[in-house]
Amino acid sequence: MRYLTSISSAVLLSVGAVAQAEDVTITVWSLDKENQPAMNLAREFSEMDNGITVDYRLIQFDDVVTESMRAFATGQAPDIIAVDNPEHALFAARGAFLDLTDRVAESEIINADAYFPGPLNSVTWNDRLYGVPKATNTIALYYNADAFEKAGLDADSPPETWAELVETARTLNNPEESVYGIAFSAKASEEGTFQFLPWAQMSGGGYDKINTDGAVEALNLWKTLLDEGLASPDTLTRGQWDSTGTFNSGNAAMAISGPWELNRMVEEAKFNWRVALLPVPEEGAQRASAMGDFNWAIFANTDHPDEAFQAIEYFASQDHRLFPEFGQLPARSDIELPPTGVAPKDAALQVFLEQLQYAQARGPHPEWPKISKSIQDAIQLALTGQMTAEDALNRAQTSIDAVLAD
Amino acid sequence: MTRNMNRLYLALAIIFALVYLFPLYWMYVTAIKSGSEIFSYPPTFVPTDPQWGVFAHVWEIRDMGRFIWNSLVIATGTMVLVATLGTGCAYVLARYRNGWINLALFLVLMLQVLPASLMVTPLFVGFSALGLLDYPRFAVILAVTAKAMPFFVILVRATFMAVPAELEEAALVDGNSRIGAFWSVVLPLARNGVLVSAILIFMQAFGEFVYSKSIIQDVSLQPASVGLNAFMGPNTVEWNNIMAYASIYVTPILAAFVLLQQRIVAGLTSGALK
Amino acid sequence: MRRIKSSIVDGVGFDLLLVGIPLVFLILFSGLPLLYNVLMSFQEVDLFSLGDVFRPFVGLDNYRALLAQPEFWPIMWNTVIFVTCSIGGQFLLGFALAVFFNTGFRGSTFIRGLFLVSWVMPGLVVGATWNWILAGDFGVLNYILDSLGLISKNIFWRSDIDYSLWAVVITNIWLGTAFNMILLSVGLAGIPKDLYEAASLDGATAFQQFWTITVPMMRSTTGAVICLGLIFTLQQFDLFAAITSGGPANSSNVAQYWAWELSFRQYDFARGAAISTIMIAFVMIASVFYVRSTRHEVRG
Repeated sequence: MRYLTSISSAVLLSVGAVAQAEDVTITVWSLDKENQPAMNLAREFSEMDNGITVDYRLIQFDDVVTESMRAFATGQAPDIIAVDNPEHALFAARGAFLDLTDRVAESEIINADAYFPGPLNSVTWNDRLYGVPKATNTIALYYNADAFEKAGLDADSPPETWAELVETARTLNNPEESVYGIAFSAKASEEGTFQFLPWAQMSGGGYDKINTDGAVEALNLWKTLLDEGLASPDTLTRGQWDSTGTFNSGNAAMAISGPWELNRMVEEAKFNWRVALLPVPEEGAQRASAMGDFNWAIFANTDHPDEAFQAIEYFASQDHRLFPEFGQLPARSDIELPPTGVAPKDAALQVFLEQLQYAQARGPHPEWPKISKSIQDAIQLALTGQMTAEDALNRAQTSIDAVLAD
Repeated sequence: MTRNMNRLYLALAIIFALVYLFPLYWMYVTAIKSGSEIFSYPPTFVPTDPQWGVFAHVWEIRDMGRFIWNSLVIATGTMVLVATLGTGCAYVLARYRNGWINLALFLVLMLQVLPASLMVTPLFVGFSALGLLDYPRFAVILAVTAKAMPFFVILVRATFMAVPAELEEAALVDGNSRIGAFWSVVLPLARNGVLVSAILIFMQAFGEFVYSKSIIQDVSLQPASVGLNAFMGPNTVEWNNIMAYASIYVTPILAAFVLLQQRIVAGLTSGALK
Repeated sequence: MRRIKSSIVDGVGFDLLLVGIPLVFLILFSGLPLLYNVLMSFQEVDLFSLGDVFRPFVGLDNYRALLAQPEFWPIMWNTVIFVTCSIGGQFLLGFALAVFFNTGFRGSTFIRGLFLVSWVMPGLVVGATWNWILAGDFGVLNYILDSLGLISKNIFWRSDIDYSLWAVVITNIWLGTAFNMILLSVGLAGIPKDLYEAASLDGATAFQQFWTITVPMMRSTTGAVICLGLIFTLQQFDLFAAITSGGPANSSNVAQYWAWELSFRQYDFARGAAISTIMIAFVMIASVFYVRSTRHEVRG
């Protein structure tokens, strides 16, 4: 019976699309550029003979929320938006996004059960679905195997604990040749939170309890990396893409970043590089990592909900191309990822897939930006030496508690 | 001034100019460096292997023709609107001196105290209510005009101050109407200052960024500044391509400026801020 | 009707029309947005009520919350440093260059014109270029300072809390010097030459001439230049966005950038508007002082 309903609704849908003639135009906003999925998929969908044209607008990562909020508040919102997963709840909780629960249930193409729990959780608010995960990612430790061997380290056993990581960074650090031990990002933006939170989580903390002993230890470890010059002072102001750029150019021997770097690294890095799981506080401790990437959502005030959902169905139907063509990981378990034939990339994929099992969502919480800001402030205050790690994290905890209590 | 002094001063001036314009030089040099040379330390001051093809490459892949065209449209529109509205205003503010004029001048200055980044939300809300967002380049022209006009008024007012009041009075005595006197006597005398200030407004509008970024959502209507920003992204290492983009973007206005600079400086110095 | 028409062609109506249309335009597109900001600072605003005018009124709550934030006073202090040092640097350099070029050696006008290119460059391009020059590990400024023996260790201009604000100040001085120079050149050109001739007949040295003639004669120009400088400096936003983003740890954050950050990064539009309002009040006070100081000047 359910099968019948979905067929009939699919037929109705397509009939509806034909009946509405050619002039349905939907707008899609996303941060993907030419060589990234959304822009290409939107173009393909637009060129298909389905009576729907897609207007694609590229927006910068930093501007997604502001631009779309402003547009939504004045009735100028796009039909479809790609939104960063921790910010999804901000929109969903206020009814800005269309409830897709029933459409997904009836969809032939999108099967909610196939998605990883983390990404699916981020599009869920009060047990209803307000979006579809676009892709997923996490962070792990990249390292320069050639540099390991040159420094007399075993490239087959990368650092596994925090202490080993610092020790390895000390060994690899080589100021005379402008090589830092490690590159990561402690920038005062969502990126800093994204990079720091896993450290807190694997030592028993979380965004709602950020001042645990483990988190303090982690922040002190970051401070050691900066104070001893094992990481560039620009770590404080540089995003992940820039930081990893210095790894690719050979100016850092290790880097903490995600799978979005893979394609560029294959092209740019002129050395043997590998990927390892994020080091843990001590042997046998629980693992954790960040869960990143964007979700698709439809704005509640769209005039073309059916066409917009059709577009998202098309995007989801192309998920199998995400990794081979664009180096991104689909957010679902029912997709085989065949080897690409590029050995380091395929090896890295296996590590990232394992790391992904430990990935934890940020939130979801409708006030996420404020929570995140408290964590960023703590990181920056501690790393610039204006407060001890403990005081900074206590301060963050106080303001997070205030947000959570509201 | 003796000849030797002259030479010494000229040499000094050239050194000052070289130091001052170094950032500009660095922009051009970075553009033609190869990817690895950019990050070499110590940096090379003359590129070892100049990549001249970078300009054509960036022009092509970033579709710069369209972006520059949009910048030209916005800059021209702004210049025309500012000059049309601002010239008369400056003339009146120069012609009288009393409390009301002081108040008007004060208002004109105060109204532009907030940066564009804080004005953009109310403007966006207002434009959306007026339906102007369907004509985004026009909306940007209106916003930039409001931002640029006070500066234009201050410069041009100074030019009008330099026009002797007796000439206008004489024209009125000769039977000219106020419009006639303004149009055929005062305006021609202030022509240089008006033109120069308009050119400066054009150049400023050519680089406008914040309003365009928020108001113009259709990529095909965005100006080069927004294109550059989209290219830069929050994180980037493509410094050579970015600098190439920047070079292509600013070279036309810099060239125009250097060609016209004698007149611009003369126009500015003829009356501004007396 | 005819009377109105003739007044417009040949009377006060002409003046009112010329000044009225632009003022109405300015009030519409600058005044109303400004008021909207002030209004917002007394309301409870969130992302979803951005398009409304009538929102819950909260009195001074936003201001109280703002003052309670530990970063409030440091950021205000940064703003003061940024504004005074930028204006001071631009003015002194601009004045020195203006005096230098005013000696009128051959080629002086041409080279003076070249300096102005900094001023016609788009802010975004200036920010990007300087960001690259100031880079810590690969930056050319560090290399030059190092070669001159001025520093022994690379300065991380953008990431060191002791330098980040200065990185933006330096860039802003570079950006504004040319403009100050040209306006001051105008003032210098307006000083009658015979004053200097008379002074040198009296045996005054160049230094004495500078202090007794140039400086006093330049007083009104100086006031205007500094007043404009204040407005331009308080509007400087692009450079912060391009170079330090106000960081690290707010060490280079200033009022105008913080207001934007609160509005568009934390979506706290009301507090952002409250800072805007404080800035407006501050500039109004400064303007009043300026107007008062010109009143005591000798007319003509």
